[in-house]
Amino acid sequence: MAQTTSVLEIADAELLGPRGAARVQRRRRYSSERKGIVWRTILVALVALIVVFPLYWMLVVAFSPRGEVFEPGLRLWPSTLTLENFAKVFDRVPVLDWFGNSVVIGAFVTALTVIVNLLAGYAFARLRFRGRNGIFLLGLATMMIPVQAIMVAQFKLVSGLGIYGSYWGVILPGAAAAFGIFLARQFFLSIPDEVIEAARIDGAGQLRIFLQVVLPLCKPLIAVLTLLTLLGSWNDFAWPLIALKDNELFTLPIGLLYLKNQTSPDYNAIMALSLIAVLPMVLLFVFFQRYFVQGFARSGIK
Amino acid sequence: MTALTARGRERASASPRPRAARRAARFKESLVGWGFVAPNLVLMSLFLFIPIVWALILSFQETKGFGDPEWVGAANYAKLLADPVFWQSLANTLVFTVATVPIELAGGLGLAVLLNSVIPARGLFRTIIVLPMVISGVASGMIAVILFYESNGLVNKVLQALGLDAIGWQSQGTPAMVSVVIAAIWLRLGFNMIIYLAGLQSISPELYEAARIDGASKWQQFRSVTVPLVGPSTFFLLIMNVIASFQVFDLIFVMTGGGPGNATSVLVTYAYRNGFQIREQGYGAAIGIVILLITLVFTFIQWKTNRTRDLVE
Amino acid sequence: MKLSSGRLFGAVGLVAASTLVLSGCAGFGGGGSGGGGDQTLTFTTWGSESEETTFKDLIAQFEAEHEGTDIKLNVVPYDQMFSNIDAQLASGDAPDIFRVDYGNLGVYSSQDQLLDLSDSFSDDEIAEFTPAMWEAVSYEGVPYGVPHQTDVSALLVNTQMVKDAGIDPASLPTTQDDAWTWDEFAAVAGELRSALPADKYPFVYNWQLGGAPRWLSWLFQADGTFLDGDTATIDSPEGAKALDFTKSFFEQQWVPPTSSTKGTVYADSLFTEGTAAMAFVGSFLVPDIDSLAKFDWTAIPMPRDERGATDLGGNALVATKGTKNPELAAEFLKFMVSADAMSEFCANTNELPTRLDLEGDAVQFKIRPDVMPVFVDQAATIEPGDVKQLTSPAMAAINTALQDQLEAAFIGGQSTADTLANLSAAIEEAAK
Repeated sequence: MAQTTSVLEIADAELLGPRGAARVQRRRRYSSERKGIVWRTILVALVALIVVFPLYWMLVVAFSPRGEVFEPGLRLWPSTLTLENFAKVFDRVPVLDWFGNSVVIGAFVTALTVIVNLLAGYAFARLRFRGRNGIFLLGLATMMIPVQAIMVAQFKLVSGLGIYGSYWGVILPGAAAAFGIFLARQFFLSIPDEVIEAARIDGAGQLRIFLQVVLPLCKPLIAVLTLLTLLGSWNDFAWPLIALKDNELFTLPIGLLYLKNQTSPDYNAIMALSLIAVLPMVLLFVFFQRYFVQGFARSGIK
Repeated sequence: MTALTARGRERASASPRPRAARRAARFKESLVGWGFVAPNLVLMSLFLFIPIVWALILSFQETKGFGDPEWVGAANYAKLLADPVFWQSLANTLVFTVATVPIELAGGLGLAVLLNSVIPARGLFRTIIVLPMVISGVASGMIAVILFYESNGLVNKVLQALGLDAIGWQSQGTPAMVSVVIAAIWLRLGFNMIIYLAGLQSISPELYEAARIDGASKWQQFRSVTVPLVGPSTFFLLIMNVIASFQVFDLIFVMTGGGPGNATSVLVTYAYRNGFQIREQGYGAAIGIVILLITLVFTFIQWKTNRTRDLVE
Repeated sequence: MKLSSGRLFGAVGLVAASTLVLSGCAGFGGGGSGGGGDQTLTFTTWGSESEETTFKDLIAQFEAEHEGTDIKLNVVPYDQMFSNIDAQLASGDAPDIFRVDYGNLGVYSSQDQLLDLSDSFSDDEIAEFTPAMWEAVSYEGVPYGVPHQTDVSALLVNTQMVKDAGIDPASLPTTQDDAWTWDEFAAVAGELRSALPADKYPFVYNWQLGGAPRWLSWLFQADGTFLDGDTATIDSPEGAKALDFTKSFFEQQWVPPTSSTKGTVYADSLFTEGTAAMAFVGSFLVPDIDSLAKFDWTAIPMPRDERGATDLGGNALVATKGTKNPELAAEFLKFMVSADAMSEFCANTNELPTRLDLEGDAVQFKIRPDVMPVFVDQAATIEPGDVKQLTSPAMAAINTALQDQLEAAFIGGQSTADTLANLSAAIEEAAK
């Protein structure tokens, strides 16, 4: 309890620090405020507990002996911790090779998408050209297409371009996304005019303004775009499965389908592989979270 | 905002220059603009616009996927109108959307307000709640299957341990739909929260101070300061959530396969079933076009009616 | 932590470049493989672990026997296997050889996508196969593939659970001759129902997840048919009998409510976890069940009514019409169904042979050889007439209709008459 109080006091200090005024008034409300903190904390903790439980269960299934979670009887943790599911995954799926493929494809999709979206977003926000709004809306409309509706046509196209079965068959369609443009445009609109005008008057060309003046300001935007694009590419399996034909080039999520079998899926091994696949993303996410909030806060979606 | 920029620029170039030069400058800017957009435009045209047109063509054909396609005119659309499963899938899609979107928005905003206030271990809580975002739809679906497994899954075991009846998550329509809705909310709540959190951080504390001095209660402050000022976030999230709900696929595909009966069949799973599983590609494409049209209409109405449409125009 | 966009771009570029170098640019080649020498074949299949290992082993044998050949095995997940094959066929990128179930084979052969093998097999060689299985790879009398293996369901029994219900395991049937009749089967199910707690069930049938055609086993047992040329024959007294009987499984709570045709829970899972005392299961699942079930179990024949019947599982191997090496492809297919190769494959995977000389106990199954003769015997109940219907090109669409209509009948309360009328209409539409 004592510890909780001290945490609360620190938290309160954080709140009170920047606002010196009306301190007397605040002191009167202090106890009710503290009660509020307790209630809020309980509420948030409860939600967090519910949200984190399925993830905990993922761990439990991954480390349980096969089939145990489906045996009768309530059990909230494994009877014995086992690595057999991981052993099976490594046995069945060339984890490291496919991990490598996922990294290569993810890196290219992300780099390409981010660069291309930044350029387009800047143009939509800051440059005037005929047809600008029309193209922008057309781009937005593409966000509304379920991939399943156009997969057949996409495949025929990729095959016609001669990139079927290669990384490019996954990378190029993966980079054709509109969400980033939308985000980038909002972000660029929030940059003060003066910054750009000043550079313009100095006689800088648009490309130079973009590279030297604007780009250094968009770290949070780049972080958001990178993270979201990478996440999408990393988790996708439906398209890579269609566009890659040789199993040496498969990506990690396709492994989940291997373990699903023709019948009776091995959920323990599936969770073990899911865990392997998701771990890098979790780390990345935790690491970049701060920029993530900033990126959205600054992009006008506020 | 755009208008402001344009005006500023007009003033900057208001020096007495000959008209031709100005036109040349505008032409040059146009060129630069197209240059900036070109890489994205090429990719999108190639991999999105062309396939959409292709899908449209496909929707007027009958084809097994290989062999020669056959022109059937609007037959696929006629079939659609008379197909009860299509209408049920449409209804299910709407039910799913109506069930998920408001909870995602309200829950996201509520959590964002809580996490924007003073509580201990704020960063930890925030991270935990956002974490499902990184899990793929397929993996989430599988976790949900394991939890909602009817005969020996954890949820039913817990219910029974509490002396309640087990629920037919996999054998009855309504519980099946509920389980899918729960899984979808779990997956998306964090994204909603984080966008709202970003929105809240740009509201200046003085506004609350002012409201407080006017004697507004916490709830009134929430109603009259927070909600209106996160309007752009709400608008953005509404569109994103509705699109996501209309396109829900992985979760349902993994969890229920559209069953029991057709209780959780939605438009995209139905399109997939026709296009891929039973080789009715033309019919599947027609359903895809319908999904596209519905989403376009919805988004268009949103733009027209939303006060904050200046955000996108 | 300070993050400069330049550095970020640099980092992304560096990662991209270094992975590109590390991966030896293999994935960026475009076009893909297969265009190589004229002694090369690509072979796309899905497979369990034991199937994959055995395929590799057999390919190595073939390559050793045929110098200079290179068979490139490409194992893909079962999900979307055929969507991908369809797409590849449509764009001319198909593999030379692929594995296909007998139902899908009918679709490809009727659309003229497969290599005609008439010249590769003499009448004597054809006579080495079970007539029903040779029928399964033929379309209008022309063979378009080789029957690589088959797989049929039999009834697995959790001996402890039936014993607890007062049924003597020694009284269980063991051969086709003493197989239960429908009435005897119903009696056993009734006994189990009254002895088991509410959340346990007498048995579970494997018609989920695309397995709806397995319902047709009941129709065949009642001596019914569903398709004659392009006429639907399902709306018959036999059809009504089979449907009424199977509907009663749900009404009497003999099967778990989740186990209907559109259920997402597998029959074998319900069996191994102890929810169902008996399960209709294919032999290829025997190894899985052997490692998962923590109780004693045995296999007995399917019940029979007017006749015995079971489902036509298993897969064929086919070559695509567009293959650059038709002779080598045919040679390879022939090798895969030679007695030695088939025997090895079946022994390793608990699947059933299609050759007459491997009937009985000729195959030395690796796992639970004691229960396998029941499956081998059961396979003999498949008749060429059944196969002809089951491999019709209309089967894919009929499968969907069965799934929907049976689900409606089992748990949606749809009447037998309506269900049969709807099925009849759907079958006619599909066979048109």
